[in-house]
Amino acid sequence: MNSTTIPTTLLYFNPSPAASTESSSKRQAHNPRHVQLKLDKRQNGRNFLSKSIKCTQNRGIRNPTALASCLEATEAPPSKAAELVADKLKRLVLEFRSLAEPIDRVKRLLHYAARLPPYNESTRKPESRVPGCSTQVWVEAEMDELGRMRFRADSDSEISKGFCSCLIWMLDGAEAAEVLEVKTRDLEDVNVGVYGKVNSRVNTWHNVLLAMQRKTQALVVEREGKRPLEALPSLLASANEVSG
Amino acid sequence: MMMTMEGVAVKLPSYSFPIIRSPARCVTRNFRPFSISASTLKEGHPAAPSAPPASLSLGHLTRPDFPILHQEVNGSRLVYLDNAATSQKPTAVIGALQNYYESYNSNVHRGIHYLSARATEEYELARKKVSNFINASDSREIVFTRNATEAINLVAYTWGLQNIKPDDEILLTVAEHHSAIVPWQLVAQKTGAVLKFVELNGDEIPDVDNLKDMLSRKTKLVVVHHVSNVLGSVLPIKDIVLCAHDVGAKVLVDACQSVPHMVVDVQNLNADFLVASSHKMCGPTGVGFLYGKSDLLSAMPPFLGGGEMISDVFLDHSTYAEPPSRFEAGTPAIGEAIGLGAAIDYLSGLGMQKIHDYEIFLAKYLYDSLSSVPNIHIYGPAPSNHVTRAALCSFNIDNIHPTDLATYLDQQHGVAIRSGHHCAQPLHRHLGVSASARASLHFYNTVEDIDDFIQALNDTVSFFNSFK
Repeated sequence: MNSTTIPTTLLYFNPSPAASTESSSKRQAHNPRHVQLKLDKRQNGRNFLSKSIKCTQNRGIRNPTALASCLEATEAPPSKAAELVADKLKRLVLEFRSLAEPIDRVKRLLHYAARLPPYNESTRKPESRVPGCSTQVWVEAEMDELGRMRFRADSDSEISKGFCSCLIWMLDGAEAAEVLEVKTRDLEDVNVGVYGKVNSRVNTWHNVLLAMQRKTQALVVEREGKRPLEALPSLLASANEVSG
Repeated sequence: MMMTMEGVAVKLPSYSFPIIRSPARCVTRNFRPFSISASTLKEGHPAAPSAPPASLSLGHLTRPDFPILHQEVNGSRLVYLDNAATSQKPTAVIGALQNYYESYNSNVHRGIHYLSARATEEYELARKKVSNFINASDSREIVFTRNATEAINLVAYTWGLQNIKPDDEILLTVAEHHSAIVPWQLVAQKTGAVLKFVELNGDEIPDVDNLKDMLSRKTKLVVVHHVSNVLGSVLPIKDIVLCAHDVGAKVLVDACQSVPHMVVDVQNLNADFLVASSHKMCGPTGVGFLYGKSDLLSAMPPFLGGGEMISDVFLDHSTYAEPPSRFEAGTPAIGEAIGLGAAIDYLSGLGMQKIHDYEIFLAKYLYDSLSSVPNIHIYGPAPSNHVTRAALCSFNIDNIHPTDLATYLDQQHGVAIRSGHHCAQPLHRHLGVSASARASLHFYNTVEDIDDFIQALNDTVSFFNSFK
C-alpha cells in the first residue's frame, strides 16, 4: 500500500495572530513552541502557567491577592468556552475522518507529535504517568487563576505524543467543566491503531483523556476546599521484604 | 482438515526439555541436555534445520483449520504473530463450543436429566483430557480455573497462606509474569515471608546456578516459568524441582508458554503445581487449569466459597468437597472446558512433538531473520547447539518505540505483534527498557509469515526514520 498525500491539517496553523503575539513573555520563555498550539483568545494577556492552583492552597493564609484572583476565576462567566471545546472536538473528528488511509492517520499524528513542546525531563515524574498505556505517557495538569486548565504531556512514543498533542490543543486553556464534559466516546472516530469503540488499556486517547479529567477533578475538589476522595493506596502489593 | 479424536486420550512419549544447561549444584539424575538431533527432527523435517518444502510444513497443513487467519487486515494479508498473548482457534474447537450450546447446554453436577448428565460427562471428560495431556497421574489433580492467573492465586490463597510463615522465603525469577509475582507479594505481605528474585545471567537467561545457590531450608516455594514469554528461554524444570525438593521446597511452574508448544509431563518434571491457560493452546478463553499433586490438593483449604465446592452446608458451618470440586465454587465455564478438551484433541492429533519440532525450526528462522534488521536488539539467549529458543522474539529497534512499530505494522501491513512490557515489568527494568516489541509464533505460522513480517518491519523502520 502506497502512502497518499496528506490532506491539509486543520488543527494547527489557524491564523490567530493574537495567540502568538499576546502570550506572555514568561510563558514563551518557558515553552516557546507552545504558543503555536493556542488558538483560544481567552488566554490573551494571561500568564497561565506562572500562576497555578497553588494559589488556592494559600487561600486566606498568606496571599490575599491570590485569593482574589482565584475567586475572580471562579466567578468568571464561561462565555463561549463550551462552544470552543466542542468546536475543536468537531474539527478533530472531521480531520481524522477525512483521512481514509490508516497510514495517513499515523502520519498526521507524527506531524502533531513534532509540535508537542520539547522533551522536558521534569515532566516525566512517576506521579504524572498515565496508567494503562502500552507506551509511557506523562500528563501534568494545573489550574490557573481563572480556573482554566493547563496541561502538559510527554511520551516515549511518537504516536502517543501525537495523541497528547491533539488533546492538549483541544483542552488546554478550557474551563474545568468543559474538560470534564468531554466523553471518551466522542473520540471514537479519531482512533488510530485501535478500532471502533475501544475502551482498552492500549487506547491512548481514552487513557490520556481520563487522566486529564481525573487530574482536573482533583484540582476542582482542591479549589473548592474539599478533602480529596481517599483512593485505595496504589502500593498494594509490596512485600514486607524483597531481596535479590 | 485435521480430525479430532473424540474421547481418545493420546499418550505422548515422556520427554524432558531442559534446554538451559548449567552445571548442576545438586546431584541430578536422568538429566540430559536437549539438542536437536536427526532423530528428534526426522518426524517433521528430514532436512532440518534448512527450510522444509513449503507445501509440507505443519504451518501450511494446519492453516486451513483456522478460519480467522484467512482475512485481510488494513488491505494486507493478516500475519498473526501474537500467539504468546493468545492463540487462534481451529474449527474443531469452535464446533465443540457450538455443539455444546446447541445440543446439550446444561449445568453440571446438578440435574439428573439427560442434558445435565451429558454436560457433566463431557465436562469431566475434558478434565480427563487435560490430565492425560500433561500426564497427571489422576484427573482429580486437575482443577479448572478461569485462567492461569486464577490458578496461581488459588495456590497462593490456599496452600500459600496455610503453609508460608514469617521469614520463609519464596524464590522467583525476575522474568516471571506479573501473575506469578503479584499473588506472592500479597502472600508475603500477609505472612511476613521474604521474596527472593533470581536475576539473569550474561546470556539473558534466568541464572539457574544462582537459583540453586539461593535455595535454603528457608525456601518454602519456588515459582518459575517453564518458557519465558519475553526471553524465549526454557528453564530446566526437572533439575530445579530436584534441587528445590532437596531443601524441602515446593515448586509451582507457570507453563502457559510451554504446554501449548511442547510435550509437558508433570510426572517427569515432578512439579508440585503447574498452571496453564486454555486460550494460549487453541482453546477458548475463560478457562485454565491448575495441576496439583493429590496429597497437596487434599490438604488445601477452599479458595472461594459457594456451590459445588461443599459437601454439606449447615447454617453455622459447611463441610468441603474433595478436590477438584473443593476448588471449583459455582457454575464453571462448562462449554469452555469442553472446548479446551477439543483443543487438546486437536493438538494431540497433530502430535506435540511434531508441533515442537516445527516450532524449533520456526524459532531459529525467526531469530536469524530478525537479526538481519539493522539496529535491532533481540532479548534472551542467542540460539546455539545447546540453547534452543521458543518460537518468539522480543526486541527493540534503536530510537523507535515498540508500540509505534506495532501500530504501523498493523495499520500498514496487517501484521499483528505485541508491544509493551508483556506483563513483565521487572524483567524489562532489568533489561533497561520500559517496553519491547514481540513476535510470537505457533505451529500454524509459516516461513512466509516470518518473511512478510521482516519485510514489513524493515519498511516500518524506514518510515519512522524518514520522520527524523
